[in-house]
Amino acid sequence: MILVPCPNCGPRNSSDLRNTGEVVPRPDAATASLSEWRSYLYLRDNPAGWVTETWYCRSGCRTYFTIERNTATNEVRGLERT
Amino acid sequence: MSPRRIPSRPGELIDRSTTVSFTWNGRAFTGHQGDTIASALAAAGVEIFSRSMKYHRRRGIFSANHWDPNLSVQVGDEPNVRAGSRRLLEGMQVSAQNVWPSLRFDLGTANQLVGRFLSAGFYYKTFMRPQFLWHSLYQRILRKFAPGGRIHWNTSTHGAYDKRYAHPDVLIAGGGPAGMAAALSAAEAGATVMLVEQEPELGGHLRWGANDDLEVLADLRSAVEASPGIEVLVDSTVSGRYDHNWIAINQRSHPLAPERLIKARAGSLVVAPGLIERPYVFAGNDTPGVMLAGAVRRLTNLWAVRPGDRAVVLTASSEGDSAVADLESAGVEIVEVLDARSGADIVKVDGRGRVRKVHLGDGRTLAADLVVTATGWTAPTSLLNMAGDRPVYDPVAARYFPHALPDNVLATGGITGDGSIAELLAHGRETGELAAARALRIRHDVLTTTARSTSPKGPRPETVPDDRIPLRRVPHPECYRSSTHGLVDFSEDISSKDLMQAASEGFDSIELMKRYTTVTMGPSQGKLETVNAASVLAEARQVDMADVGTTVWRPPFSPISLGALAGRIFEPVRRSALQDWHEANGAVNLLAGQWVRPDRYGDPMAEALNVRNNVGLIDVTPLGKLDLRGPDVPKLLELVYVNRWQKLKVGRVRYGAMVGEDGVVSDDGVTGRLAKDHYLMTTTSSGAGAVWEMLEDWLQTYRSDWEVHVTPVTGGLTSINVAGPRSRDLLERLVGGVDLSADAFPYFSVRTGTVAGVADCIIWRIGFTGELSYELHVPSGHALHVWESLLATGSDLGAAPFGVEAQRILRLEKGHYIVGQDTDGLSKAPTAGLAGLVKLDKEDTVGLPELRAAFDRTDLPVLVGLQPDDPTVVPEEACQIVAGDSNEILGRVTSSRMSPTLGRSICLAQVDPKLAAAGTSVTVKLVDGSRITATVQEHHAHLDPEGERQRV
Amino acid sequence: MSRHGYRYSAGKLLKHGVTRGDWPRMWSKPERRDSYDVVIVGGGLHGLATAYYLAKNHGITNVAVVDKGYLGGGGSGRNTAIVRSNYLTPEGVAFYDRSLQLYNTMASDLNLNVMLSRRGHLTLAHTDSALRTMTWRAEVNKLLDIDSSVIDPEEVKRLTPSLDVSSDTRYPILGALYHPPGGIVRHDAVVWGYARAADHLGVHLLQDTEVLDISCSGGDGPDGKGPGGRVTGVRTSRGDISAPVVVNCTAGWASLISNMAGVPLAITTHPLQAAVTEPCKVFLPTVVVSGSLHVYVSQTDRGELVFGASVDPIGTYRVNGTLEFTEELAGHVLELMPGISKMRLMRQWSGLCDMTPDYSPIMGFTAVDGYLVDVGWGTYGFKAGPVAGETMAETIATGRTADLIASFGIERFTEGDLVGEKGAAAVGH
Repeated sequence: MILVPCPNCGPRNSSDLRNTGEVVPRPDAATASLSEWRSYLYLRDNPAGWVTETWYCRSGCRTYFTIERNTATNEVRGLERT
Repeated sequence: MSPRRIPSRPGELIDRSTTVSFTWNGRAFTGHQGDTIASALAAAGVEIFSRSMKYHRRRGIFSANHWDPNLSVQVGDEPNVRAGSRRLLEGMQVSAQNVWPSLRFDLGTANQLVGRFLSAGFYYKTFMRPQFLWHSLYQRILRKFAPGGRIHWNTSTHGAYDKRYAHPDVLIAGGGPAGMAAALSAAEAGATVMLVEQEPELGGHLRWGANDDLEVLADLRSAVEASPGIEVLVDSTVSGRYDHNWIAINQRSHPLAPERLIKARAGSLVVAPGLIERPYVFAGNDTPGVMLAGAVRRLTNLWAVRPGDRAVVLTASSEGDSAVADLESAGVEIVEVLDARSGADIVKVDGRGRVRKVHLGDGRTLAADLVVTATGWTAPTSLLNMAGDRPVYDPVAARYFPHALPDNVLATGGITGDGSIAELLAHGRETGELAAARALRIRHDVLTTTARSTSPKGPRPETVPDDRIPLRRVPHPECYRSSTHGLVDFSEDISSKDLMQAASEGFDSIELMKRYTTVTMGPSQGKLETVNAASVLAEARQVDMADVGTTVWRPPFSPISLGALAGRIFEPVRRSALQDWHEANGAVNLLAGQWVRPDRYGDPMAEALNVRNNVGLIDVTPLGKLDLRGPDVPKLLELVYVNRWQKLKVGRVRYGAMVGEDGVVSDDGVTGRLAKDHYLMTTTSSGAGAVWEMLEDWLQTYRSDWEVHVTPVTGGLTSINVAGPRSRDLLERLVGGVDLSADAFPYFSVRTGTVAGVADCIIWRIGFTGELSYELHVPSGHALHVWESLLATGSDLGAAPFGVEAQRILRLEKGHYIVGQDTDGLSKAPTAGLAGLVKLDKEDTVGLPELRAAFDRTDLPVLVGLQPDDPTVVPEEACQIVAGDSNEILGRVTSSRMSPTLGRSICLAQVDPKLAAAGTSVTVKLVDGSRITATVQEHHAHLDPEGERQRV
Repeated sequence: MSRHGYRYSAGKLLKHGVTRGDWPRMWSKPERRDSYDVVIVGGGLHGLATAYYLAKNHGITNVAVVDKGYLGGGGSGRNTAIVRSNYLTPEGVAFYDRSLQLYNTMASDLNLNVMLSRRGHLTLAHTDSALRTMTWRAEVNKLLDIDSSVIDPEEVKRLTPSLDVSSDTRYPILGALYHPPGGIVRHDAVVWGYARAADHLGVHLLQDTEVLDISCSGGDGPDGKGPGGRVTGVRTSRGDISAPVVVNCTAGWASLISNMAGVPLAITTHPLQAAVTEPCKVFLPTVVVSGSLHVYVSQTDRGELVFGASVDPIGTYRVNGTLEFTEELAGHVLELMPGISKMRLMRQWSGLCDMTPDYSPIMGFTAVDGYLVDVGWGTYGFKAGPVAGETMAETIATGRTADLIASFGIERFTEGDLVGEKGAAAVGH
């Protein structure tokens, strides 16, 4: 059970939150080509290392925020409210 | 009764003034409080406790502790109880496992006769032909030989267990001298300490030590007891260390629960489990009467049991010397002490039920009934492995040592080195100080980063360097195997010869060897076996031990019951404010996602007809409801729904459908505008949470400049649908402040008014059932009053409740699809018939590019109304639509019911686009295999496609 | 004799028992060559099966299987060894049914008893919508000649008496999808069987050989990688190997290996955890799966209960497991079988699963000539191992995508033609 630092609630058990995966910039829906759109939908960097990802403080303040987590060690650093 | 009990010992744990009665294989026995099951039986002269897994060899006490591979017994309905550590309780019904028909006479011993053919992995090489015999016979026989106790699956303790959270600064795994010293110094440094000991009392090996050890122990215990900062948990095991120092502790002997799982977020973890004695491999080493030095020391000193009469002792360390002293004081004749350090050896033991003769390396044979070995130690590094460490083998000390630990994990005591009691205590103290310093710094950091907590007191504690003086590593011979082959894994009946064979067959990495032979896969998970297995592999490959490695130790440290892991039962259901009424009035319930709801009160067909003819009431509270406020709500609706929302007027309601970014239909519902900047959105019951989170995501992540506030009100408002041609008549009697006439309150409108005297009820006029109907959203505290008033006031109108089943009939007659039933994980907007709804010319909407792409396609399945040609046949939901007599799949029935209104069967179906035209005849294959024909309808709605009934 | 060298049999067991003679090695320790016709990355079930069928069915034997660790050390040795073919989509059913056929004949084909136990597979339904999905699967299955049907709670109880089928539970058992041919296999034996057979046909099994890079030329990306390029070989921890064909048969590291060729994948890697109890006398005759409760369980011939669940909610390459997995697992298992509350969990472990958006694999050719993938196996790679090997071998040997894997191509994510298994596969064991 890793600790996730919520900007409002402080470090919380990860089960109090929901991980929504690595941050992928959303293309402009009006102008994006289908292939750009599908890259956004499906392709992921999926690195074995540091990744910027979004969490939702589901059982707490209900804030979406991003942190950096190392997927090889589950080490967590940095936080930023989105 | 206790022929092997000896006079009182200074450190004995038994209370001789007590008598505890129990049975063993049906026979009555007694012991004392403080006895283990095994010590009480051993005192009574019992020598055979179990039969081995494969060959059903007789087995006796070997290590006399939790890890003893021979002491798994059944106690009542509990299998695999460790008789070596489980304390005796009055009335225990203890029996041997893995025996048939009895422990004394076991037919499984026949396997010994063919043992030479049952080498490692033998089953992979035979039983292949004829194939049917493998499936019908061989496999069944193999399964009969499964070891272990019996499950009594008609009794259950599920839910009787408990859990607890803890946040100690320092958590210490192991209550021996080093662990106790660490606890004391950490507490002195200001840390909160949790000291966890697997045995029922603190002390570790001091407990079976000499008088000076006992004195040290007494001092330590009273110091620990006197320290307010230390919480002591005995008979408790630290069973796992997980990321971010999340620690699992299995607490047994809790007064209120059979076991309790404590989950601790520890600042620092101190690992101080001591050492586990390693068996010696030689022919006959599993014969009853062959014991580890620790076993005889525990038996004599803790339980005052004489483990034998004539002993041969093989020793490579001071532990053997201590055992000799203990045995002598217990009146055991020492036949010979063999010093392995000067080359003495045991090559073989004879005897079946008990050791008779001992063959020595020098060719001599001695008569004895007890063989004691003290040939080395295994460092139980499990918790360190779980923290990412890969311990390193030291050939000089002949064991593994910790290598690289994260900052928040420290080790002390025997696992890190050797020393006198004083040296162990000193190391423990220094470790406790270091652990406290690190933990207090971590605590400070957590408080600093916790937004709402009070600020930490004082400055950030300094980093303390690890300048502990390491414990020595006393040289120890690498004493693993004699010149003969013997058992390496007692639980699995795996010999050194089996391992050699596996290596020669190519299974020459420790992991492959383990998988092929099953060595270390038994209940103790290698605590006794791992290092010996590695040594045999090193020997087979003729490489150094250090190059072989070990298998990875995984959680739990010792097995933990499923009941303890599960804890109390937290499987709640959601109930509407009316659910008690429903149940009191004959409702048959249905579990739907998180909710329990009335499926029906009586005959659902009659309930449906009552809606068509009179007026019915249904509790639709599980419908997701989101209160939306702010000037930018229209923008949000425009974004998340596929249709237009900018022009929705106050007092109007609109249907909307949602798709995901991938264009797949995800949810639907109606949303009404209650006031200028105030909307109420409804969602599907199952989608309520997901839609809410999705709205928040948009508002926080991508559109943070929009002013919208979302509040979920699903449970706060109880929703009652009043449906049927007489619904307006009914409501007119109870509604205040709202003109219900058709012109003033048209279809797809919303008003706020009073219902049965309850103010602020939201009323919208919509029609899932296809009838004139009103949906009331009532503050839940008043819901029962409103519900009962409606029924009472409308009795002359035929007002009656209806359940989910009637609603399903009604909505299918009307042809309303249900997201997730009539659509699936691939259904895009065109499939659901949303062509008229979707607006593709928006600047942005969720899934816009996929929506556009979907409407360019002609191959997507189409949802259609379908009627079997034989009106009496109702195809089961999920029946497949096929091409004539072939098995080619062209669609499926997604919903079906018998329509009481139409007197015929009706369906919705997803079909291949080439079958979608009205009037097309399709073939439906029923579950029973028969095929029927059915005709595609012009509309989804089987009844009133123009909607005249609901617009009156 | 030809395919296996030394044949195993009851007679041989007798002979070795009497003479106490040594058994020969199951596979050799070959000298690495500088070039091969095909290099397969990943010495698990998929890689070994691909190598075996390349050699056996197509006569392509100048093949190396390279693995950074030991054979079968990844998902092949960590899964819960369930096999079945009662999938939801016709393409899924056809594919997995071929796999089950290969499992059925595997013992004699590979001359190694893989301990296939066709004990029956129950997927429990706790809601009427789950029951509808079970009917959907059963009806598709029947049309494709798969033995599969929906049974009622009484029949469930008859087949598996330890299940609580009473109606007043939180998750009542309303019925089940029953698939008699489904069951379990000894997973390691499958790996060894393919390894032994492939080795004998001349395939080189190179253990402890880590692939550090895939060499390419002519591609759009850096170093000639990426679309439009072609593969020239691999760089390994034990030296360079040239090869015109490189096949990515890894699981857990598929994205990382594929990036070496400049081919990004629609994958996120999640741990899948499993656990095993201490042995008890056999009482559970079938494989039991509950999708709503995210759990599956079977009892081994050794008496242990083997449990699995759905993948962890947090993507990570870490395989040290979590406590919450065991807590949820135990809670859910006891909802189904309250009577086993005193059984003890003995070990938990974890493997890596490469999850794709549609719970279906990514197989076949890519935009880099000579670089093929057999990845994205999510939680069902073990069931598919034999047929994946057979179809990948066919695809490599003929230069044409095998029919059975046509819908699993990498291009479906750009073309938007996802496979419809997701509904049934969320906990699809």
